[in-house]
Amino acid sequence: MLIERSSSWKEGFIKRLENHEPWDSSTLYNMSYAITKNNLITDFTGLQSLAYLPNIKPLPHQLQAAERVIEQMNGKAILADEVGLGKTIEAGLIIKEYMLRGLVKKVLILVPASLVNQWIEELYTKFHIPALLYKKNYELDYVDVVVMSMDTAKRSPHKEKIFAQDYDLIIVDEAHKLKNHKTISYEFVKSLKKKFCLLLTATPIQNDIFELFYLVTLLKQGHLGNYEEFSAVFSTKVRDEERDGYLRELVSQVMVRNRRQDTGVEWSTRKVHAIPITFTDKEKQVYAAVSNLKNISSVFSDAFSTMTLQREMCSSPDATIGTLMKLRQECKQPEEITYVEKILGQLESLPLHSKAKKATELIIQAKDKVIIFTEYRMTQLYLSDYLYANGISNVIFNGKLSKSSREWIKHLFKQQAQVLIATESGAEGINLQFCHHVINYDLPWNPMKLEQRIGRVHRLGQEHDVQIYNLAVKDTIDDHVMNVLQGKIDTFEQVVGELDDILVMKEQSV
Amino acid sequence: MHSTEIHTYLHRFFKENNCEVLHGNEHYLTVQLTIDMDKRIMNRPFYWRYIESVNETPNPAQLTLITDMEQLQHGMKGEVIHLGSPRLHQLFRVTKEMGQFVKMYERLVEVNKQIVLTPWVGVNYKVSFISHQTKEMLYSLGINLMTGAVVKDFQEAISLRDMTEQQSEHVFHLPYIITPVRALDRLDAVITQVIENEDLTWIDEAEKRWKKDLAVLDYFYEEQEQKPESYENEKRAMEERFKPRMTLDIVNGGLFYLK
Repeated sequence: MLIERSSSWKEGFIKRLENHEPWDSSTLYNMSYAITKNNLITDFTGLQSLAYLPNIKPLPHQLQAAERVIEQMNGKAILADEVGLGKTIEAGLIIKEYMLRGLVKKVLILVPASLVNQWIEELYTKFHIPALLYKKNYELDYVDVVVMSMDTAKRSPHKEKIFAQDYDLIIVDEAHKLKNHKTISYEFVKSLKKKFCLLLTATPIQNDIFELFYLVTLLKQGHLGNYEEFSAVFSTKVRDEERDGYLRELVSQVMVRNRRQDTGVEWSTRKVHAIPITFTDKEKQVYAAVSNLKNISSVFSDAFSTMTLQREMCSSPDATIGTLMKLRQECKQPEEITYVEKILGQLESLPLHSKAKKATELIIQAKDKVIIFTEYRMTQLYLSDYLYANGISNVIFNGKLSKSSREWIKHLFKQQAQVLIATESGAEGINLQFCHHVINYDLPWNPMKLEQRIGRVHRLGQEHDVQIYNLAVKDTIDDHVMNVLQGKIDTFEQVVGELDDILVMKEQSV
Repeated sequence: MHSTEIHTYLHRFFKENNCEVLHGNEHYLTVQLTIDMDKRIMNRPFYWRYIESVNETPNPAQLTLITDMEQLQHGMKGEVIHLGSPRLHQLFRVTKEMGQFVKMYERLVEVNKQIVLTPWVGVNYKVSFISHQTKEMLYSLGINLMTGAVVKDFQEAISLRDMTEQQSEHVFHLPYIITPVRALDRLDAVITQVIENEDLTWIDEAEKRWKKDLAVLDYFYEEQEQKPESYENEKRAMEERFKPRMTLDIVNGGLFYLK
């Protein structure tokens, strides 16, 4: 094999021999040899970078993950630890090791906008890697490590600037956002050259097994075969133990997934409580009337609007009123309008919603900080008003808040308020280990969202057992949501592995 | 490298480069940089261009480097230096640049005797094996310019002798028979031999992994006559990831006169 060598030293040596340039200091000569010897990478394997990282003490599972990615997966992996186990630390170890070994010089890190600063800070304080926050008119030629929001990166002219560079390592955080292969983000990441690549997500499957297929294919084309073969085998509903085992094996070749119990850290446990709620007669009447809307008017005939209204009715009258008012505009026939107005009237006259009543009881019982997750902004306000009126201090948190307001609200919750009422969009990337009661006021369709919610409090640093209350109204759409959730959890566990408790099925509940 | 070793290194480095240590203890030091050192490490070319163009009195920077934060009062201002800090790596680089070529003589105290020193060329090589993983080796070779004999561990051998940059009087330096340039070529041939005798199974391992990944990729695109861009893209990435390479760097070396 050809040995690459440079002749520049020889030229410099000849210049000295011919007295064209002075000789160097012998002290520096000896120091240089000693440093080189000291910093030599003496082994193909092992993490040499640890000696360079005095500011962190990685946990065993993080070290193992980094080693496995580098030594067995050749630097292409999905890091899929459960929420809160330190995927960023694992990624940082891998970047550092590759940089130290000279295998990686240029790194592109793609993250949701809300996590950009967190990445830069962690890389700098923990790994001494100076990463740059990408701004619109930056030239990328002289920047080795750059952190960009995915939304910026995938658009012109930024993506062209990225294509003009030659990145050695691509990192995508919250990679479950790439689950849909028809999105611009997916197409963009697909077209990047991936010498080394890390996809970070706690939830590699959110709905179905094809999401995992596309994620793995993005990382390593062909690893799960092509789409036709894959779908021929897996689109059937029937589960086959042997086939699932084979897929699990293939997936494990490109995916690291640590669970809380694998970490060697003493974890507090999760106590999941299913809280069944019974509607009052009045509520039942309104629910039935809402469900019947599809027979009254064509405006409500698609399954989606009925389902939305039913779900909202299981949440709060205010949420239902909001949607119903909008749909009323579309009604033309007088009898349709009359029917809708009648429901609106009933909704407005309803006393406190049964779920809100139950939630309040739970908060009073807890005598401690509580996070309530709801799917609806109207419910968020409804609950906030009611809790205030009953002397329970609370703050609300949603996706519309700016970065600084988010910090402020988090601070208020920690210092003063008893309850934080959050919508889904507000949940990402905030860490609330000081709280250990979570009320899932409405259940999402997606179990991974539930896992993300719980992950806000059940993470490294949580000292108490985490109490989770899943509220569901009996004999309503909530039952259906529960079943769908359980089905999706089964899919996840068959292919990816066990999932920590997020749901208790009704039959198991007390 | 422990913090005390780093501290010793910093002291020696700045002393050797005539940068005065203004104050400090075993946990930190504040140095006054020389103009030359400021230009090398402070990364402010515009300042220096300006100062030199208007002929103003230059004001090279002072640096406070802290090697053990825990031992110091909080509020101490300076750069914390540890093995992973960018500043230390910059100083390592400068050390390497400034310590590449030497001429040294062995110092002997012998009474009433004619001292004769033999010329040698000594070279320190760094060999890197690179594929999806890396490994580095350091070899120090020396060659006798009278006989052509080659020895290993040359750097260790001279570190045990009393060496100086000064040529002393009353010492006879043998004129070399083999020129240093020829000797260097000879050493290059020897080091090539040495590398070829190393364990090279890593090459097979890298190629095995490469072939395996390539087979998976080819299978994925089997049906397509005209391979798309993404195929070529991934193939290139694979080559960059696995292709085994060997590089040979000369860390430093020089001309040595030994007894």
